[in-house]
Amino acid sequence: MVDKFAIETQGLLKSYGNVQALRGVDLQVRLGEIFGFLGPNGAGKTTTIRCLLDLIRPNGGVLRVLGLDPQDDPVAVRKRVGYLPGELHMEDNLNVEGVLRFLNKLRGGKADWDFVLHLAERLDLDLDIAVKNLSKGNKQKVGLIQALMHRPELLLLDEPTFGLDPLIQQEALRLVSEARHSGATVFFSSHILSEVEAISDRVGIIRQGVMTEVAETSVLVNRSMRRVRLRFKEPVDTTPLEALAGIQVLLRDSDQDLLLQVEGEMDGLIKALAALPILTMETERPSLEEIFLAYYE
Amino acid sequence: MATIYLYTLGRLRGAILGWGIGLALLGGYLIRFYDTLAEQGVELTRMIAAYPKELMAFFGDMTQLFTPAGYLHTEFFSYMPLILGIFIASMAGGLLAGDEEKGTLDLVLSYPISRRRLFVGRVCALISAILAILFIIWLSFLVAVRGTLLEEISLGEMAFPLLSLGGLLAFFGALGLLLSLLLPSQRAATMFTSLLLFSSFFLSGMATIDENLEAYDPYSPFHYYQGGNALNEMNWGWLGILTGLAFLMILLAWWRFERRDIRVAGEGGWRLTFRSRRTPTAVD
Repeated sequence: MVDKFAIETQGLLKSYGNVQALRGVDLQVRLGEIFGFLGPNGAGKTTTIRCLLDLIRPNGGVLRVLGLDPQDDPVAVRKRVGYLPGELHMEDNLNVEGVLRFLNKLRGGKADWDFVLHLAERLDLDLDIAVKNLSKGNKQKVGLIQALMHRPELLLLDEPTFGLDPLIQQEALRLVSEARHSGATVFFSSHILSEVEAISDRVGIIRQGVMTEVAETSVLVNRSMRRVRLRFKEPVDTTPLEALAGIQVLLRDSDQDLLLQVEGEMDGLIKALAALPILTMETERPSLEEIFLAYYE
Repeated sequence: MATIYLYTLGRLRGAILGWGIGLALLGGYLIRFYDTLAEQGVELTRMIAAYPKELMAFFGDMTQLFTPAGYLHTEFFSYMPLILGIFIASMAGGLLAGDEEKGTLDLVLSYPISRRRLFVGRVCALISAILAILFIIWLSFLVAVRGTLLEEISLGEMAFPLLSLGGLLAFFGALGLLLSLLLPSQRAATMFTSLLLFSSFFLSGMATIDENLEAYDPYSPFHYYQGGNALNEMNWGWLGILTGLAFLMILLAWWRFERRDIRVAGEGGWRLTFRSRRTPTAVD
């Protein structure tokens, strides 16, 4: 394997008793990119991430994180990684500052405390609050800070904006983007497709423990179906349009209004439309969410 | 490892002080009664002789009640393994599995800490907690014996019963730790360890009055527990057996911890496996 990848897995397998959580995950995350990891509940996102940190041991397959095998040298991997668990639990007998200082000690005090304060300020987090009194959103902020505070080479974030209010969500995404601009690789799972679409360079979709798609976010969005809304100057016979390959009529409001779904290239449709009296034509790009759902239908 | 050790010890601080001081006060209180009891020895011996032997089986040799060793064993050390044993079993069971069930281990082990260092740090903190509790009790004994007939016992001799108790506690602590890494939950580990603790207590007690049980007694950890009788002659071999077995179980627990998955939300638990037979679903 070549070290141009921050994460590389081949045929990763993991089962819990009779439950097969990962059925041969092949994944390559390039150095310096933001990789969005999508999938519904139970698809294997968290299991994959926990294998990367040697928290759980795969039953088969090959795994490299920053060129290292997490099972051979987990400490070396974890030194270079910042991790936000999907379900964050912290020692609740301390306050936020106590937890962050304790975690920093586990890293040998590598974090710059001014940077910790800067992160806390940007996420609007009070460090004096006892952990047991934190709301879900505030706990998530602590989780983000501890993952970012030592400026890791690789960020593994499991649902990083879960529980955050919309304004803080945007700030959290900015922090993630800034980490990437500073040279970090970001691998994050999410259910919120709009945020994946907004910051990810590439997207991987996992379903029932298998990667079903990995693509540049823009390519994934652009290459698939589009919706075309047409308004004609006068009633027309649309039969020739409907006969085109990859065209499906979604809605016909009248003889003059038509909503089509176009799969693949638009060339044939545009040529066919040239012969018709068009008043307006609008194309809608589907959201990543719609593409995502299409993979599951 | 020092960070883990100190943090874990800090977390146990309240329990150490609570149990240590509580039991120290009890021990000191009982020691102050020795002189009074020894004065009434003849009458009390006659009264105790009338008790059913089954009732007395668990409190040592009652004919020795008015010797320093017999008194300390009957009044304090005979039942102390049960009281402290359940506490230690619970503490050991939660040492790693407790944090795993709370979900905090997932975060801690994502830091550059090897499982070995985490394990050693936590186990050292547990051993330190046991020693600290015993040390507090020992200190109270030293203060309480002043001006009593027990004052003739030297500082070192006074430590022997506590060492014997420490060996037994180490055994059941190590068992609790090992079971917590084998069984699906901390609660199950504590329950099984406590069950074995009580079974062993009853087996060794009943073996003193029922010769049919004598053959099984050597398999009971309580057989190797001297308690107050260690004042007469410390059996270092027995202490070695208890601590040796404890060490072996700690090694097994470490071996298991190195190889198992860190669970969250029931992953890898028996319940999940059982459920999956009926409703196969993927795990996120």
